[in-house]
Amino acid sequence: MTLLSGLLGNALLSGGVLALAGMGELLAERVGVLNLGVEGLMALGAVSAVITVASTHDAGLGVAASLAVGAIAGGVFAIATVLARASQVLCGMALTMGGLGLAATIGRPFAGQPSAATFRPMPIPLLDQMPVLGDALFRQSLPVYLAYLVLPLALHLLLFRTRHGLTLRAIGENPAACDAVGIRVLPLRFAYVVLGAALSASAGAYLTLGFVPSWSDGVTAGRGWIAVSLVIFAGYRPWRIVAGALLFGLVNALGYLAQARNWGVPSAFLSMLPYLVTLLFMIVPALLSRGRPGATAPAALGLPYYRDQR
Amino acid sequence: MTIVTPLVGPGPNAGPTRRGLLAAASATTALALLPRRASAAAPLGPVAEAEAVIAFGHIGPISDGGWTATHHHGMLAAKRAFPKAKFLEVESIPVSADATRTFRQFVENGANLVFVTSEYGDLLSSVADDAADVGFLECNGHRTSDNQGWYYIQHWRVSYIIGVAAARMSKSGKLGFVGSFPVPAVYSCANAFLLGARSIRPDATAQVILINSWFDPQAASQAANALIQNGIDMIYTNLDDASCLQVAAKAGIKCATWNTDMRASGPEAYVTSLLLDWDRFYVAQIAARLSGSWSGGGRTILPVGGGVDRDAWGASVPAETAALADAVRRRILGGWNPIQGEIKDADGKVRVAKGAAMDEMACYGWNWPVEGVSGLRSA
Repeated sequence: MTLLSGLLGNALLSGGVLALAGMGELLAERVGVLNLGVEGLMALGAVSAVITVASTHDAGLGVAASLAVGAIAGGVFAIATVLARASQVLCGMALTMGGLGLAATIGRPFAGQPSAATFRPMPIPLLDQMPVLGDALFRQSLPVYLAYLVLPLALHLLLFRTRHGLTLRAIGENPAACDAVGIRVLPLRFAYVVLGAALSASAGAYLTLGFVPSWSDGVTAGRGWIAVSLVIFAGYRPWRIVAGALLFGLVNALGYLAQARNWGVPSAFLSMLPYLVTLLFMIVPALLSRGRPGATAPAALGLPYYRDQR
Repeated sequence: MTIVTPLVGPGPNAGPTRRGLLAAASATTALALLPRRASAAAPLGPVAEAEAVIAFGHIGPISDGGWTATHHHGMLAAKRAFPKAKFLEVESIPVSADATRTFRQFVENGANLVFVTSEYGDLLSSVADDAADVGFLECNGHRTSDNQGWYYIQHWRVSYIIGVAAARMSKSGKLGFVGSFPVPAVYSCANAFLLGARSIRPDATAQVILINSWFDPQAASQAANALIQNGIDMIYTNLDDASCLQVAAKAGIKCATWNTDMRASGPEAYVTSLLLDWDRFYVAQIAARLSGSWSGGGRTILPVGGGVDRDAWGASVPAETAALADAVRRRILGGWNPIQGEIKDADGKVRVAKGAAMDEMACYGWNWPVEGVSGLRSA
């Protein structure tokens, strides 16, 4: 039982990084902007959180700093892709490389040291007494609850239960039509790209203040790219992103458990497992839903909007 | 092969502190012997210090707080010893064609001696073979030629010492090891760790988890968590970062690390660390290259006390445990080889007969798990 509880707890903790980064990416993609800079944003968020807590000893301020830095970096990206209409793929790559490099440079004095402040577990009364699940699910820190419950709920309500959400989704599908009915396409795109970038950067803060409490160059280890694919995998829906992140975390944790319990599977295969399972989960629904329109990408994803060409 | 003998003996109750080793480094300009192959190659010609170019190529970032940081430390020591020489340093060189390009760039920039701080194999030797007047030294390498040698540390003996302490620090006798890849460096480290532990506690076992990376704090902390949930209460890791120690501190168990003093990341869990110190080796090699006595073919394994040692014991290590492990350390410093038969492998087959010992080259190429080490056989 403690084994199962430990497995679930680990999965939850490691999946949270992907959930946060993925939901940030979702916001940008829903308004039609493909942001491949998540990895760089996470690194920037991670390093700014560590630097902030080093002087303030307040994990909350660390997250605030990562959100702010993410918004600034996202702003630069949005100026390039939304206003100047540069290639989203190239700008995203530039954001990733620039973000990783900048984070490594400014983080150098803090590399390898433990974070000065971290998030403490926040048990939820009564629920944490549940057998098995209580320990794993309800004795986590605040960012875990935010990543798995509050944010997906908020995003789901925003995108699918409000008029504003309908507008946002419409911008991702057909910006020209939106423009025709008087929706201000570019300002809204700009705003949600910035908001999404801030959220993605907060995944970095989650990493360095909650999961592996220290900063080093390369701490994001490619998880930003997983988050980008997770959004596609989840069919651009918040709850599925969270479920996908948990699944990925679970398969990952299962790999380590298999090694710890000596099930005799080669470690290289176990490291491969999360990606294999992801592939499987991509293929199976696609095969099952043949002929029916499944969850497809926003039609205008990746396309810059030119008013004069509508 | 030559094992460079330690220049500083075990001082009276002297813990190996970084400062102490540094002082020794600055006091010594050159090591007494230079490792040389039997069919010694002709030495490369002398170079004036003011014209010398020394290059360092690293596998990771110098800010990793681990492996690459220790090599960077060695480069800084060399820089202080040869202030007029020019130093080149490139970090995070991927094991790909980019590495060949970087090493070739070193040669084009006039490097006289190139240190490569991880094994790059053919990616390095293809460059070395085209630059006969440039010396190359590859850490954890295997190839030697007229202008190429390799160097490494005797980390298995320090792992043995750490194992002795670990047997006392663990209540259950169930030890854990978090490593990177199924390579000899990991086999010898985990094996010697358990052999050390079994010398005190014959029923001890070691469970290994490999994360397929030298640096992935997220994976390392998950691996450490998985071990702890399986009842392991003492973890040893040779990864570059301190995340295992942080997880151990959180879970209230003990942990020993590698490369640098990491106690700040979990003072109450910290047992010790396997410290690396390349300062004297780098200074000596550069001195030899400048004086015209350096030649290829060197195969150096730096010994305990002369490049690798344990860190000062953590606050939670009882004096009696520390004394027990230090007694073993003193014997090793006196020349005793702790990797003694009879040693069985994980299948129960006797690999080293009673009375025989595993020599350093055998430890350097160790590729089978000893009895009691699990998780490596299928890796």
